[in-house]
Amino acid sequence: MSGLSFDLIALQLFTGLALGAIYVLFAIGLSLIFGMLTVVNFAHGAFYMVGAYAGLFLVSMGGNFWICLVAVPLLVGTFGMIVERFLVRPLYGRGIDYPLLLTFGLSYIMVELIRIAFGTSGYPFDTPELLQGAVDIGVGYFPLYRLFVIGATAVVLIGLWLFLERTSFGLIIRAGARDPQIVRVLGVDVSKVWLIVFGIGTAIAGFAGLLAAPLQGVIPEMGATILAEAFVVTVVGGMGSIGGAVLAGLLVGVVVSMSSLFAPEMAKVSIFALMAIVLLIRPQGFFGRAGLMS
Amino acid sequence: MIDIAPTIATSSSKSYGWFDLAMRHRVLLASIFVLIFPFVMPFTALAVNILIYGLYALGFNLLFGYLGLLSFGHAALFGTGAYLCGIAIVHFGLPWYAAIAVGVLSALVMATLIGSLAIRTRGIYFAMVTMALAQCVYYLFYQAVDWTGGENGLRGINVRTINLFGLQFDFINPLVRYYVVASFVILAFFVLSRILASPFGAVIEAVRENEARARASGYNVIATRLITFVLSGGFCGLAGALSALHLSIVPIESLHYETSGTAVMMTLLGGMGTFFGPFVGAAVFLLLENLVSLWTVHWQLIVGAVFVVCVLFFPEGIWGTILKRIKP
Amino acid sequence: MTASAASPIILRTTGVSKMFGNFVALNNISAEFERGVITSIIGPNGAGKSTYFNVLSGAFRPTTGKVEFEGRDVSNLSQHRFAHLGIAKSFQITNIFPHLTVHENVRVALQALVSRYDIWRARSTLPGLTERADELLALVGLKDRRARRARDLAHGEQRALEIGMALAADPRLLLLDEPTAGMSPEETRIMMDLIVRLAGERTVILVEHKMKLVMGISHRVLVLHHGELLAQGTPAEVRQNEQVKRVYLGQREH
Repeated sequence: MSGLSFDLIALQLFTGLALGAIYVLFAIGLSLIFGMLTVVNFAHGAFYMVGAYAGLFLVSMGGNFWICLVAVPLLVGTFGMIVERFLVRPLYGRGIDYPLLLTFGLSYIMVELIRIAFGTSGYPFDTPELLQGAVDIGVGYFPLYRLFVIGATAVVLIGLWLFLERTSFGLIIRAGARDPQIVRVLGVDVSKVWLIVFGIGTAIAGFAGLLAAPLQGVIPEMGATILAEAFVVTVVGGMGSIGGAVLAGLLVGVVVSMSSLFAPEMAKVSIFALMAIVLLIRPQGFFGRAGLMS
Repeated sequence: MIDIAPTIATSSSKSYGWFDLAMRHRVLLASIFVLIFPFVMPFTALAVNILIYGLYALGFNLLFGYLGLLSFGHAALFGTGAYLCGIAIVHFGLPWYAAIAVGVLSALVMATLIGSLAIRTRGIYFAMVTMALAQCVYYLFYQAVDWTGGENGLRGINVRTINLFGLQFDFINPLVRYYVVASFVILAFFVLSRILASPFGAVIEAVRENEARARASGYNVIATRLITFVLSGGFCGLAGALSALHLSIVPIESLHYETSGTAVMMTLLGGMGTFFGPFVGAAVFLLLENLVSLWTVHWQLIVGAVFVVCVLFFPEGIWGTILKRIKP
Repeated sequence: MTASAASPIILRTTGVSKMFGNFVALNNISAEFERGVITSIIGPNGAGKSTYFNVLSGAFRPTTGKVEFEGRDVSNLSQHRFAHLGIAKSFQITNIFPHLTVHENVRVALQALVSRYDIWRARSTLPGLTERADELLALVGLKDRRARRARDLAHGEQRALEIGMALAADPRLLLLDEPTAGMSPEETRIMMDLIVRLAGERTVILVEHKMKLVMGISHRVLVLHHGELLAQGTPAEVRQNEQVKRVYLGQREH
């Protein structure tokens, strides 16, 4: 244990925050969609994976990372809206399991289509030149790109917050997240709200996939792994709570990075232990409302 | 939930049409079908696979179809049954029947652990929590390399002969193997049928139909869910144990998320909440996999598409739709 | 019978309050309910009637205060235990097993008393359930509907079925939440007759929005308003109460 200095732990904390930032983005999209549509999007991991591949494709076509940052969420979000409009929508009112089952089946199809187009093996994803190297953050040198991931996530969060708090559309979403009846009473076209929320949620998933690509490479199965981990975030944070998703996402990221420092063999299992503890002491999650799904 | 007619005729029903008669003797009919099944299949190994996955889906269906709880973590139960059966043979040299018992018992224990955590949540959380916990089980087995072989799977489960009542059967012979597995499946049919026709079966129906009403009537909904989850785990563990004997290896994929998804797909394809539907689903799924694999490795695309179409247009599944059509 | 079971007070709430976040739904309600009579809880919309009902029936735990049934504190008991104590309830919204037959609905309610975890015996061998279910169906007037799917019944019949199921536990106390909600006048009359008939053998507590309806059949009336107990007494006393008059003034009666 003598090798574990304060600086090392502090650096690992930052690594955890960068990892957590990806979880936050992923879980926020999941939470938005659930809070509004009561759909658990089992294809969320697939949208995340498609985001990474879309970035890979755009870069190979001569685009650069900065263009991807804008283009990928747009592409993935548009695709998400098409999915909502033509596949998920016919299932509203058929019980809560059916949209879930549909998105599960869809994720199979999406993964297989990507395998057909890009092959079954993974690709590395180059860190953009501007973001290579490391910077001194006081406790040691920290990879610049990870810092960028934390920053980009913060920007998305602030943007989302402004959108939800300051726009009339955001008000409708927040009202709807509390009670879908209210939205109908307000005389708003609910189906349009749902379409856009699904689009925003999947766009953020695609963005998260793109951000994660330089960190861990790109493979067709990357979505399934993060999906299970994002469920942990959701259970810990409370379903449908954006604040909960942010805090729980960062917490899960830090737990993963800290346990890989102190007990590497427990790194993968640690977050599930965290979830088990939360389930035992507070089944509705930190910020979840009791009886939300009763 | 889709409209599932109560499948058991209670003593109160007075009609004895051929449909009711068939329903009454469904264990017998399903058993007869299982006995002649290998002769209509292209090769016996596939028939064995269909039996094993049919049994797995049958266990899943008890929870999803009959109780209405959607689990995405049943791979943990199937995989635990498979691994512990394998470990009992490879590491402890137990005879095959004892190894199967070990597999089933450990799946029951695993189901109790996962179930008692997951039922603390409600409704939609259940799918997420079961999936996350199953992923945790996957990592635990993955890392216990000394016991499980880790990434390479557990190898060396060589059962060559089956001794029964002084008789020796050649387990290498595909048809013998089929009928050994089939006898367990028929046993499972019988047990499932008893459960569904039991007083507890009525409680399962009641909780599925209306949780609040069931609670007000004096039923403990949480306990009912947990018990059903554990029973479901028993069937899935048996399927896992049989698969370990059949394959002589337990691949780490047994515990993978996709294995959980397979149970969901097979059950929905066949018909949730029907007695024989999971078998139909398993047969269609595996036949499709085998056929499509002949011309492309991307069989999952076709299976996924068929599943999506089923969710959208045939929520009652193949067998469920057939039953509805022929019901007088 | 123990002394407490024979006491004239079957149910008592002492200082019961219920908060939802910062919202006070019930404020310090102390009341006693007499055995063997019909007591009605009335009040305008939002008075806290349903919350009070849910506390009495164990669906909500009171934030403070306690509920005693036959002298036993039941405030923190799980809901499913209430049926076994001898308290049954019907819901405000129709609450049946929609895809089971009428007979199966009552039968499964009856079964809760004798077998809940038996996974092996055939359920048809449980003695007496079928016959007892038929008796209850006759009592609530649904004998000729026994083989129908519950969801295919008319609204009034479904409510009667619910009461049949509530009676399965042979409860000493029957809690009914707006039993005539959404009913036609004819259905309402049948339901009121049924309630009066049932009250001969057991205690009935009734939550009702329509004041006029219950005045004729109740022995005692509790009036709630803004989560507080405004008045209680015989129907005649309550009718004369100035505060009650004020609350109900301008309130459209059905």
